[in-house]
Amino acid sequence: MTTNEPISMNLLNQDLFKNWPFDQDHCLTCALCSSSCPISGIDGFDPRKIIRMVSMGLQSELVESRWPWICTMCGKCEHVCPMGIHIPDMMRAIRSLRDRDKVPGILHKGLDAALKTGNNLGLPKEDFVFILEDVADEIRQEPGFEGFAASVDKQGANIMTTIHNKLVNTHTEDLKHWWKIFYAAGEDWTVPSENWEGTNWGMFTGDDPAMKLMSGRIAENMVRLNAKNLLWPE
Amino acid sequence: MNSSMKQVMVVGGGVSGLSAAVDLARLGIAVELVENSGSLGGHAAQLSCKATDHCVSCGACVVEEKIRQATGDANIRVHLNSSVVNNNSNDVNRRKRFDVTLKQDQEMQHIEVDAVLIASGFAPFHPANKPYGYGRFENVMTTLELDLMLRKSGAVKRPSDAAFPRNMAFIQCVGSRDSSLGHLWCSKICCGAALRMASCIQNRQPGMKSTFFYIDIQNFGKNFQTDYADMHRHILIRSIPADVLKTADDRLKLSYFDPDTQAYQESIFDMVILSVGLTPSVSTRNLAAMLNIDMYGFAYARKTPIPLPAGVFAAGAALEPMSIAESVLSAGKAASDIFHYMKTS
Repeated sequence: MTTNEPISMNLLNQDLFKNWPFDQDHCLTCALCSSSCPISGIDGFDPRKIIRMVSMGLQSELVESRWPWICTMCGKCEHVCPMGIHIPDMMRAIRSLRDRDKVPGILHKGLDAALKTGNNLGLPKEDFVFILEDVADEIRQEPGFEGFAASVDKQGANIMTTIHNKLVNTHTEDLKHWWKIFYAAGEDWTVPSENWEGTNWGMFTGDDPAMKLMSGRIAENMVRLNAKNLLWPE
Repeated sequence: MNSSMKQVMVVGGGVSGLSAAVDLARLGIAVELVENSGSLGGHAAQLSCKATDHCVSCGACVVEEKIRQATGDANIRVHLNSSVVNNNSNDVNRRKRFDVTLKQDQEMQHIEVDAVLIASGFAPFHPANKPYGYGRFENVMTTLELDLMLRKSGAVKRPSDAAFPRNMAFIQCVGSRDSSLGHLWCSKICCGAALRMASCIQNRQPGMKSTFFYIDIQNFGKNFQTDYADMHRHILIRSIPADVLKTADDRLKLSYFDPDTQAYQESIFDMVILSVGLTPSVSTRNLAAMLNIDMYGFAYARKTPIPLPAGVFAAGAALEPMSIAESVLSAGKAASDIFHYMKTS
């Protein structure tokens, strides 16, 4: 909240969010959510305050608030809430109210890039495939993995995996662990060369159409490659 | 007991069933008192006296007096280890009669009565699925278990090493006011009971620090002033903890949002006591089904009194969360209602 002025209750529109099916008006302020939250206390954040703001219809304060954006959406609050309030869904709904150009920078730019190029980095297909081949090369240097090969766009594989963009950016080492497990287990797997992004920032920014588009692309890849199972490690 | 007397079956040998039986017998009504365990007294018989330097009217002593009265009364016949397995009600000469089948061990017996009183009490909420380590950490107990320990041994010691606890945490509303469980009710007796318990332990074991984690203190009854005056003995934190973990030195770490500092906080305790809520007992559910009573959580989940069939009455914590004193009153009211029903039917 940006002001310490008292709120005049009769100026509030308490019907504003009543159609949100999140049961926020059932909150007993017991603090189980706040006690379980990994970021409670940071920047004065307390999930109960957000819930009360929603019940009171404080729209502009919610839209401007930093709190819904520092929420990690881990869902522990919802798991422990005795009144069954869907707190992460509420956070998402609040995020959706913000003008898109005021969505925090990396999320806004990343989603914009993903919608245009298929991944949050805007990484071209040939660069992506080059990085995967490079990692596969490094794996082949290790004893016991001489026969390893990256599997891109393979038809009919048992598992198709999505890729978190950091795995082909700053954390390529992290690709190796599970690829080596695949190899050791004799798993039949593949990665799509396009629209491989597993991180759906449409979800985090409350952008439903973008979330649907990103999820739809993964489904299209499944169909295109005739894959049997999806591994979506997000 | 003679054959011309009107007969009532009282189901439940706890404080409300015993009270009603004694009151009915005094009014010249023959009572068949049915108890499914091996002894009379119900939950109340497992509670400890909570007196500090003065009586705090907890009611724990009431039940012993009621047991003495009931077992010494010629108009009361006690059936232990017995449960109602069937009921047929019919009208004989415009008079409603209940033909109740009782099961004792493997034996069945039919008893005919003019009225039935449901006094089958409550079941304490079982907190294993709440994030407090109940059933995993020995030093996490329910209030009822703590009561029984105090009653049996006169002292509170940690189950894991028999050491006296230096500090204890009490977590309120465990299993009450919880829509995820379908328990929307406040169990009403837990705040007062836990606070009295903590004060009582402090009197017996000086230096023991008690911390209460609560939503709001719901303390009812005539003794409010006394309990209120005792509040300063306890640390009161308006926040329900989300986790209980065991430390390397076998203590218990609670994490919670501290309302004073507005920050995440961890505190370490020797014991954690869960103030478990009251829920309708299995016997109450079974009886309601047998007697065709609309049974959505029996009375627990309702605002208005349950419409009961003619000749069927209910009292005590079978109806809703109730203290011992309230159960005695509720039983007295039911006995009076039954007496008037007998006169007019």
